[in-house]
Parts: sequence; structure tokens; C-alpha cells
Amino acid sequence: MASEPADVLIIGAGASGAVVALRLAEAGFKVTCLEQGEWLNRADYPGNKLDWELKARKDWATSPNIRGLASDYPIVEDDTPVSPLMYNAVGGSTIIFAGAWPRALPSDFRVRSLDGIADDWPIDYFELLPYFYRTDKQFGISGLPGDPAYPPDTEDAPMPPLPIGAAGLKVARGMTKLGWHWWPEFNSINSTNYDGRRPCVQRSTCQSGCNEGAKASTDLTHWPKAIGLGATLITGARVSRIEHNDKALATGATWIDRDGAEHFQPAKVVVLAANAIGTPRLLLLSGLGNSSGLVGKRLMMHPFANVAGLFEEPLMSWAGQFGDLIESLEFYETDEKRGFVRGARWGLAPTGGPINTALPSRAGEQAWGPDHHLHVRSHLGHGANWGLFAEDLPDEANHITLSDTVTDASGIPAPEVHYRMSDNSRRMLDFHIERAKESMDAAGAYKIEVDRLMRYSGWHLLGTARMGDDPKTSVVDRWNRSHDVKNLYVVDGSCFVTSSGVNPTSTIVAIALRAADHMVETRFEQQVPA
Amino acid sequence: MTTERVDDATTLTDDERRTLAAIADRLIPAAHGMPSAADVVTDERLRFALNARPDLAEPLRQALRPELGPDLQARLDTLGADEPATLYALQLVIVGAYYTDAGVRDGIGYPGQVAITVRSWEYPQYLEDGLIDAVLARGPVWRDPATGTRARTDNAPNTYAERFGGTPPEGDTHGHDRA
Repeated sequence: MASEPADVLIIGAGASGAVVALRLAEAGFKVTCLEQGEWLNRADYPGNKLDWELKARKDWATSPNIRGLASDYPIVEDDTPVSPLMYNAVGGSTIIFAGAWPRALPSDFRVRSLDGIADDWPIDYFELLPYFYRTDKQFGISGLPGDPAYPPDTEDAPMPPLPIGAAGLKVARGMTKLGWHWWPEFNSINSTNYDGRRPCVQRSTCQSGCNEGAKASTDLTHWPKAIGLGATLITGARVSRIEHNDKALATGATWIDRDGAEHFQPAKVVVLAANAIGTPRLLLLSGLGNSSGLVGKRLMMHPFANVAGLFEEPLMSWAGQFGDLIESLEFYETDEKRGFVRGARWGLAPTGGPINTALPSRAGEQAWGPDHHLHVRSHLGHGANWGLFAEDLPDEANHITLSDTVTDASGIPAPEVHYRMSDNSRRMLDFHIERAKESMDAAGAYKIEVDRLMRYSGWHLLGTARMGDDPKTSVVDRWNRSHDVKNLYVVDGSCFVTSSGVNPTSTIVAIALRAADHMVETRFEQQVPA
Repeated sequence: MTTERVDDATTLTDDERRTLAAIADRLIPAAHGMPSAADVVTDERLRFALNARPDLAEPLRQALRPELGPDLQARLDTLGADEPATLYALQLVIVGAYYTDAGVRDGIGYPGQVAITVRSWEYPQYLEDGLIDAVLARGPVWRDPATGTRARTDNAPNTYAERFGGTPPEGDTHGHDRA
């Protein structure tokens, strides 16, 4: 069954798809979006309910393989130590992301020039800066201006910073003793009333959906506005193929509804915004855009380690924005004396509730018997966690393929992830773990616990349809347009050339907005199917 | 979302219920002023946990099956070695039922994930204490791609007051006066 043709068809209603939809709807484009998930009601989110920690481990798990909801598709993970994490709904993974909002740094766009490895991006930090400012306003960012880890800004975050809590203050004092950089984290979480949404109430349940609507998720920040401007959002719509004509132009997408019925959505332009697993999966399924052979390759996921400090005094660290209390970029930039190149960002997060505390720790520590109570009392609310995000360098061996044996509920081949952490990343994480332990020690921690590589940490999915000027070595151009299919765009994290070492959503959406602006500016030159 | 309810999940046999109580007491016994999980994990609490997680009902029964014998530690060791997911489900049911009990929460001083007002109009302690000034005084941290070295900014502020004239960060005060 065919539908009304769209000027632009967007696949995926998450962070980047929503940004593009709103911009194009503002410019008068007839926008249609296909989203395999549904609209969610934040009254149903478990964060303000007694069973939160139980549900957070199943229906609200960050791994689609654990959730197994009708909106999810399976991911074959037998060949990766890190599981990709995502959410499928209107809002996409912004529903469950933590909300930390650091930008990629200037050096991140010049890795080849500065460090002699990987590649430079065709764009740079300063070119993106106006888009960062615009998306900061769209999403609603709280933060303390003036962070010396970044070039001076001409515009401040629209809201003051969220509190850093007793745990943040404790660790910040330790960092000050050491003379190391730290800064209150920038978060896409309201610290005040903003844009019709309420301020954060510090429940720390950001990764199970925000009951308050304080955390920016695009079902709140973008889609109502885009729909108000005429955009159409179709949910429960799983795309199986992007179709094209004999002139190598995309003509729309075939999609399957929850009852198994097939539909075709025609469009003049197709925009992929399905994340760095879903987007290459669709390109491979469609046999499109892959003259470089790089579709699905160079997957980067930010290997992640956790260093937890325990303190004698109560810190009430079950509370506070999960998006991070403070961050450090002290060891972010390359120092070859360390035995590796590039670096990692540290983000200090709250530590969870009693069920999380009582169960075996990430590091495998168990406490049962009479000492169980001492364990819970000494851990619950007494901890602070440094999460260490290591920059993952691109490697073609880290890639996505289509499974021969596993399909989703619609019969579409599942993606298979093939991924190894590099020696550079291992050395990087080991170095940063030792420094983070020193930080906890300086802050006065009496015990420090380390998880050297967390399996369920693949929040940051990047690189599988990289951007570049040369069609032989990249999938999309500097405007996110496919080199091969002139009316096909990739606006999610797939386009990343290198991964940076920071949470990527801020950078993803700035790039997406830049691409959308370009679509508007070049609308009359855009090749479209007849 | 999972919508199936398992109100009959507590319909364990007497043997299964006794085994569950014994394991609960082994894992979380009465000690240090806290009650035993055997006493806290009543049918009501068990029903609560399994209604939240109906997927745990079957592995719970598996963990309690009589074939694993009367020796509790041997049962736990066997599950840990051969069926770690079953053991995890057993632990999660007990822990989930125990720590959602109001008395237990009182005992550990945990109020739940309650709403706390963010007082963004107040001047943060870290600014008051000069911790940000210490960061600013060390100068830029970012690496300038133009030079390949740490950025230098001749006119960078050395203190927060210099950067902002001593005013707290801007923001909606909700009608409150800034302290």
C-alpha cells in the first residue's frame, strides 16, 4: 500500500531524526518519519515507582536484547565484548540516555594531523560551533560557562548548572588537590523551568525515562513542534528497505507494520537517522551507498571502565542527575609518553539504589550472609563513580554484517556486531583507571573498586557510514549526503570519522542540524526522482 | 512493555516456599539490626517483585526445584557454576522483594528515589570555596589544532568572579531571590 509522497522521509525518530524533521518542517518541507517504536507516556516510566530497580533490569534495560520488546530488533553479539545499547521509540535513545552533553573537542576533528593516525574530519569544531549553540537551546542545556577545556564561548548554556551533590563536591576537592581539571557537567537536563518543561528533581533515574520531562528527549523537545508544523510521524513502522530507481536515486522506503503488512512510503529525499547499527543495517539490506565498501565498517563504541570510590561519610549518592555530576578532561589530549594516543573523558555519576548495591557488583564482588548488611550500609549512598570513556579509533575490522540466521519479528535479518577493543584503547583505559584511582584516593575514598571493561556500555554507536570528501574512502560527504545516492542522507552517529572521547549526542545533533540547514539552502539544486 | 501479571506466582509448593525462605535467610540473615529476608519476603512482597518481573517466575521455580537437594550451599554453588542466570534470578527476586519493603528501607536510611528541588538560584558551594577559580587559574586545557599544543589564551579569566563579575550563573529563579 503506497502513501502520500513526502518531500523528505526520515527513518528514525531519535535525536538526529527529530532535529532534521523540525528544521525541515520549519522550512516548509513535507516531512514524514517512520519510527519502529511507539509514543511513550512518561507517567508509565518506572523511576518514581517502588519497582524501578526491578524494571530497570528488564523492560527498561538499555540493551534491546534484554528488553526484547516488540519495538526492538535483536542484535547478534557473539563476537563483541561490548553490547550495543539503544532504545526504539519516539525520542529514540534520548528516552534512556543519561543526558550528559559534552561537545567533541577541537582536536577530535584533526586526529590524523595531530596524532598521525586515523583520519581528519572534513569539518571542524569551529564550523560546528553555531550549530552547538542552536541545539543547546533546542534541547535545553544546563551548565556553568567558562570551562577551560574548551575554546571560549560567545554564548552560554541557556540554564545554570545542575547541582554536583555531595559526591561531586567530594571528588572535586580531590581533583583540586591534584591540580587536575574538573568542571560541573553540561547536561541536557533542565535546572529551571525551560521550554514548557519542568526542572530536574534529582531522582537519578534518567536511564529509565524521565518522569518529570526534565531531561531532553526528542518526543518532548522536537516532535510536538515538528508535528505542529505539519510533519507526519508514523510509529510501529519498521523499514525493511530503501528503494531506488535506475538513476541511483532513492525513491522511498518499504516498511512493515506490527501486523506484518507491507507499505511503501515514497519520498523525494531519504534521511537515515537510525543509529550506527540500524543505519548500516538498512543500507546493507538495501544494497545502497556502499561503493566505498565502508558501510557498516569502522564501528566505534567507546570502551568504558568504571572506577568507584567509597567514602566513610554519607553522600546520598543515589540522588542527582545521572547525566553526570562533574567531568574531567585532564587527560583527554594525547601525551605519547603515556604509551598510547588520544585520551578519555571522565564523568562522575550517582551510584544507584539498594537493589543495585545489594546484588553482585560490576566488578563481581558479592556480599551475602551477616556481612550483607554491612556491605549495603557502607556502599549505599557512600559512593562516587568515575565513568571513563576511551576514544575508540576506527578499525575496519570492527563492523556490522547481516545475520544469516537471526531475524527480527518482521523477518528482517538482524545485525551482527564484530568488535574488538584495540591495544591502544586497552592501554588508554589502564592509564585512566590508575589516574581515576588516584583521584578517588585524593578525595579520601577508603576503598576503590574497578570494572575494567563493562559489557553493557555500548551507548555510543559511531562511525559505520563515515563522512569524508573522497568517495573512495567515505560513505557520505561533508553535508552528510551519500556519495553514491544523491538524495540519501545519513545524519546519525554513523557519520563520525573518529569517535572523540566524549558522549556524542551533542555533536551528533549539531552535525544533523548543519546537514538540515544545507538541505534547506540547496533545496532547489537537490536531485530528486521523477 | 511487559503487561502479563503473575498473581499466581506465589503459588509455590510448600517445599519450594521452605527452600526459598531458607535461601533468603542464608543470603540475607537477621544481623546488625536488620531483619532476615526469610521474614521480609512474604507472599505479598514476592508477588510485588514478580508482578514487576514476571520473567523471573520460571527461573525462580527452577532455582527451587527439589532435584538440587537439601544442602543449600551446594544448591547455590551448583546454580552458580551451571546456571548463573537462574542463580541471578533467585538473588534478584529475594533482593528485589527485600529492599522494596518499607521497614527495610527505613533500616538502611534510604527514602527511595524521591523528588528533590533543584535550587539553581543558589550560589554553588564549589564557587564559594574557590574550586572553580583553581581550575581557571591553570588556564586552557584544550589542544589547539592550529598549533598542536595546549591552547594559550592571553586574556583568559583567572577567577570565576573575573569571568562573570561575581554574579551567579544566569537562570530562572522561580521567583526566589538569589542567596
